Amino acid sequence: MADGVRGLKVVDGLELPRPYREALRPGELVRDAAGRTVQLPRYFYEVASWEKALETELSPHFGAFEFLDIDLREAEPLRAFPRYLPCAVVPFAAVLERFRDAVGGPVRIAANGGYRSPSHALSQDTSPHLWGAAADIYRIGGEYLEGADRIRRYAELAQRTVPGVWVRPVGDGVGGAFDHLHLDLGYVTLVPRAKRLKEPE
Amino acid sequence: MSGELVEDIEELASDAGASAVAVAAHDLMDGRSLELHADRWFHAASTIKVAVLLALYDAIERGELPEDARVHVRNQFTSLADSRYYRVDASRDGNEVVYGYVGRTMRIRDLAHHMIVTSSNLATNVLVELLGPEAIRASLARQGVEGVEFRRGVEDDRAWEAGINNRVTAAGLTELLRQVAEGTAVSESASSEMLEVLLDQRFVSGIPAGLPEGTRVANKTGEISTVVHDAGVVYLPDRDPYVLAVLTEWNEDGDTSRRRKLIADISKLVLERFVERKDG
Repeated sequence: MADGVRGLKVVDGLELPRPYREALRPGELVRDAAGRTVQLPRYFYEVASWEKALETELSPHFGAFEFLDIDLREAEPLRAFPRYLPCAVVPFAAVLERFRDAVGGPVRIAANGGYRSPSHALSQDTSPHLWGAAADIYRIGGEYLEGADRIRRYAELAQRTVPGVWVRPVGDGVGGAFDHLHLDLGYVTLVPRAKRLKEPE
Repeated sequence: MSGELVEDIEELASDAGASAVAVAAHDLMDGRSLELHADRWFHAASTIKVAVLLALYDAIERGELPEDARVHVRNQFTSLADSRYYRVDASRDGNEVVYGYVGRTMRIRDLAHHMIVTSSNLATNVLVELLGPEAIRASLARQGVEGVEFRRGVEDDRAWEAGINNRVTAAGLTELLRQVAEGTAVSESASSEMLEVLLDQRFVSGIPAGLPEGTRVANKTGEISTVVHDAGVVYLPDRDPYVLAVLTEWNEDGDTSRRRKLIADISKLVLERFVERKDG
């Protein structure tokens, strides 16, 4: 229905088969932790295969596969291809690119730490992971983000260098980050421009 | 003969400096049993991993987990003592491979293999978080195993300080392994798969070390500063297997090799005097 990005077709989630609609809940209104109403993504990139995910660059250093690496906690229909990524994942990859420049090396997104559907077992709250606008980073270069000091160092760097980014506080209790750095842009949705059927006269 | 054998085992343990010993054996060929303090509770150490293995195959058999499922490997676990996070220490783990997957996913069967064969603490805790303590206890209850008490994941130091530990008896471990050997743990196919994993065991300085070379043993060891255990199913040529659990308790800072040798010596004694019925 719409222009794709790097060969990925854009689909309207409301037009997907029922099992996908039930898992993705496209365009549904939900409440965030503060009680505000926010809208889940409606438009998605369709990724046909794992090979396609591996070869598709969302930005120079971040591939679609990094946002699709989930485990059995994801809803069953979404564990098999075709898979779907909210369109906000592309601008978010650009944000990660900025962070990568700041740290000067590879930035690795953890499994379940890219896009998670609203039906993912870890999606009890309205995390920006559901918008494709969040990443849990477990490794930077060869350094695993274990321990408060390491995570805090990179968190401060992210806040200094990436405008508008939100960083989860470091902590060893529920809600804190203990083995990763969580970055997100909030509830970002993106509605791609559609290809015109006919050029204006 | 059984009385004399028990006395000889206790003498071996006393000479080695163990503060407590328990033995349970069950011969699947004729149903005979041997018991020495078999209902005494010990800290389970890594022998509890057999219970996690049981619960994993139970969940697969019940359709609660796809058999080819992958799970995110995280080194972040919640302490049962205070609900704060803790990590397992790679330098205190018997397996490095699983640490290479931190942040990524692994197949649950591969995690189970690492958990048993090289006693990976990280693999164990990933599976415990996946299954949940209640499910592990429920699997044990469905099998009617009473001498294996699961409370928490491994290396939870704050829980240990609070006295919250996994516990086993020699009778409990023997019962669990007997069911695996007889094909009644979860199902015949699940038992068979669990047995194959246990037969790949790399830690062989306990029960296997007291047996003739080449004897196949499906065993699981457990070792912390104050206990050294081994429990397994022993497959001798031309006869049905027997199950043996040897649990030992020690004062801290002892010689680890001497502790394992005691288990090997008891294993040898049980083979000669209980299984082969040679005179002492």
